[in-house]
Order: sequence, then structure tokens, then C-alpha cells
Amino acid sequence: MTGALSVTAPVAAQVTAIEASLLAFVVLTALATAFARDVLAAVIIFGAYSLGMAALYVFYRAPDVALTEAAISAGVTTVLLLLTLAKTTRIDHEAAFESVNYPAAGAAAFLFVGLLLTMDAIPAIGSPNAPVWSNPDVTQWYLAETYAQVHVENTVMGVLAAFRGFDTFGEAIVVFAGGIAALIVLRREVFA
Amino acid sequence: MSDSDRRDDANPRDGGDLPPHRAVDRSGRLDSTERQGTPYTESQVIMPTVKVVAPFAFTYGLFVTFHGGGSPGGGFQGGAIMAAVVFMIAFAFGIESTRTWLANTVVVALAVGGALAFAGIGLVPVALGGAFLQYDLLPIPIKYGLEAVEIIGIAPLVAGVLMGLFFLLANGFALGGDGFEPDDPDESDAPDGGSGDGDAGGDSASPAAVADGGREHGGDA
Repeated sequence: MTGALSVTAPVAAQVTAIEASLLAFVVLTALATAFARDVLAAVIIFGAYSLGMAALYVFYRAPDVALTEAAISAGVTTVLLLLTLAKTTRIDHEAAFESVNYPAAGAAAFLFVGLLLTMDAIPAIGSPNAPVWSNPDVTQWYLAETYAQVHVENTVMGVLAAFRGFDTFGEAIVVFAGGIAALIVLRREVFA
Repeated sequence: MSDSDRRDDANPRDGGDLPPHRAVDRSGRLDSTERQGTPYTESQVIMPTVKVVAPFAFTYGLFVTFHGGGSPGGGFQGGAIMAAVVFMIAFAFGIESTRTWLANTVVVALAVGGALAFAGIGLVPVALGGAFLQYDLLPIPIKYGLEAVEIIGIAPLVAGVLMGLFFLLANGFALGGDGFEPDDPDESDAPDGGSGDGDAGGDSASPAAVADGGREHGGDA
């Protein structure tokens, strides 16, 4: 339990100024999303949060995830939420922020501290000894074998489309089923 | 409040103007009668900006899709970007005119065609005696097999479904007799229920015939 603080100190030393400001931006926009009283403001701030997360993914060298986060979360989800708001009535609020629900905030803080204590077990960012990276049977095997077997440089796409192609097919059908479900829920028979 | 309770309460007050699923709640919270329309205003800033940005964004979506094997991205991300371009155009030039420009047939063809293409590419090796998506049995290089799944499978599917969700949410809940409930006599009051069925039912004259035609069409699709 005492390790929580002693581990965060060396990690904090490695975080660059851009990463630190992005992390602060993400935390602030997340809090603002939770506390904004106007739903429209919350949706827009949530879009900014997603954009911050996408930039953060770029810095942590997950450009595929960053593209998805930017396109789906910051773009499409924000637009769909705005459309939903346009279909409902918007209530004018005097106050800009919600009043804090102290029992809920206490429960959230308790969960936050509990999760923080598990930081001890998480490897440092970019650590070459992190199991998810150094594992010779999964990550290193795919990195070594993807180009040799399916001839694409993007290992993520190689895994998704070839090695895990059947799973991806299932995911594509889930997306398709989502469109059908929206038709049924909204009692429509045509999309456009 | 139970559902039957709510309908009994709402019907005499509204004089049958509203279908049961749109009855006004006692608290007046969710399903209020005064709805904001689609808040579209022609903006001299947004329209030229979208005119300039849209070709580049669409090209970027195509690049992310077609170059997924060599750089970050792939069909899912590229399809989402291309759908976002359509959202952008709809926000700048009006959702209804974009809906007319991009017919339902196109949206459905993208979504269904993408799903069928993915399944087809997966099943060709099965027909040749291999496993699902066994690319080396395809008559093209393995890399092009993967790219085909991304380009003609996932990207159109994602773009079509996202565009469909966008237009669906812009339309909102079907209020008239085009839902699954028995036809209401007052369905001509529905503000936008008829427009969707006009595409599906074709040249039907009476509202009831439009609803029936739409239902059969939906069953076929």
C-alpha cells in the first residue's frame, strides 16, 4: 500500500509537459462534463474530452485507437447526441454547474483511491518489461509474424482482418445489427 | 405510473390528437408536445468552411481506408470519417436536403453491401475447401484480400450504418401509422412520418396504403 506514492514519483518525472497538460485537460473536461448543468454544454465538453483522449493516444503511440477515438467519440457520437438533444426540449438553467451530490462524490472518491492503490502493480509507461509488450507468445509473435504471413505493415490491421478475422466479422455484424435495432426502436422502415 | 394508467389518463385530455406512445406525461418531463424543430440556419461561416474542408476530409477518409495496411487506420476508421463528412454537409446545408440528396437506397446499399461483401470474401475460401477468411486460397495476393475486406466490406458497412443512424435520429420517433401499431385515423398530423414512407412505398395515394407499402418494403429489405 505504501508503494502507491513511491511509484508515481519516478513516473511523473518521465511525463513531458505536453503529456501533462493533455492529462490535465482530459481530467478537467471529464469533471466539467459531469458537473455541467446544461446538457448541450456537457455534450460539447464531452467532445473536447474525446479529442484530448485522441491526442493522448497519439502520444502513447496508439494511432489506430486515436483515429477511432477522434472519428467515433469526438465526431460521430457528439453529432448523434446533439441530434438527440435537438429532438427534445432544452431546459434553461440559472446555474452553470450541478450541485455536488456528496454521497455520490464520496463513493467516486473511494473508488478512485481504490484504483489508485492498484497503480503499484501496473508497469511504467513505455516499460520494455511490461508483460503486454514483452510477452513472446502474443505481442512479439504477432509483431514478428504479421508481415511474413499476411504482408501488411500495420500489425493492428493484420491481426484484426486476418488472425482475428472471424471476430472482426462478428463485430461488423454487431454494427449492422445496431443499425437495424435503431430502425426498430424508432419505428422506422427506411434510414433516410 | 403504469402504461395503461398513463394512456387512460392521457387520451381524454388530448382528444385523441396524439398516439398512445406519445401521450403527455403527468409530470410533463420527457414527451412534451412542444418540440424543437431541426434547428437549421444558413450560416455564411459554416457553409463555405464545409465546402472547403469536405473534399479534404473525404479524401482523408479514403486514404485511411485504402492505406490501412501500411499506416494506422483501416476500414472502420475510414468509414467513420467518410460518414462524418456527410454529417458535416448535413449540418451546413440542412439535414432534409442531404437526406434527399443521399437517397435511402444508397445508405442501405452501403450497409448491406458491406456486410455481404465481408461475408462473401470470407466464404469464398470455404467454398474452395478452406477455412473462413483463409486469404491464401483467394486468387489474389494475401495483402489484397485483407484490403478488400477493409475497403469493400467494413468501410461501406460502417459508413452506411453511421449515416443511417444520423438520418434516423434526425427524423426521430415515428409518430404516425408507419410504426408497428394499428393505423391511427389521424396519422396525417404526423409531421415527418410520411416522408420516409414516400421513399419506400412508392406512389401510394392514401396514408394507409403508404403505411402498408412501407411495411412490405421493410420486410423485403
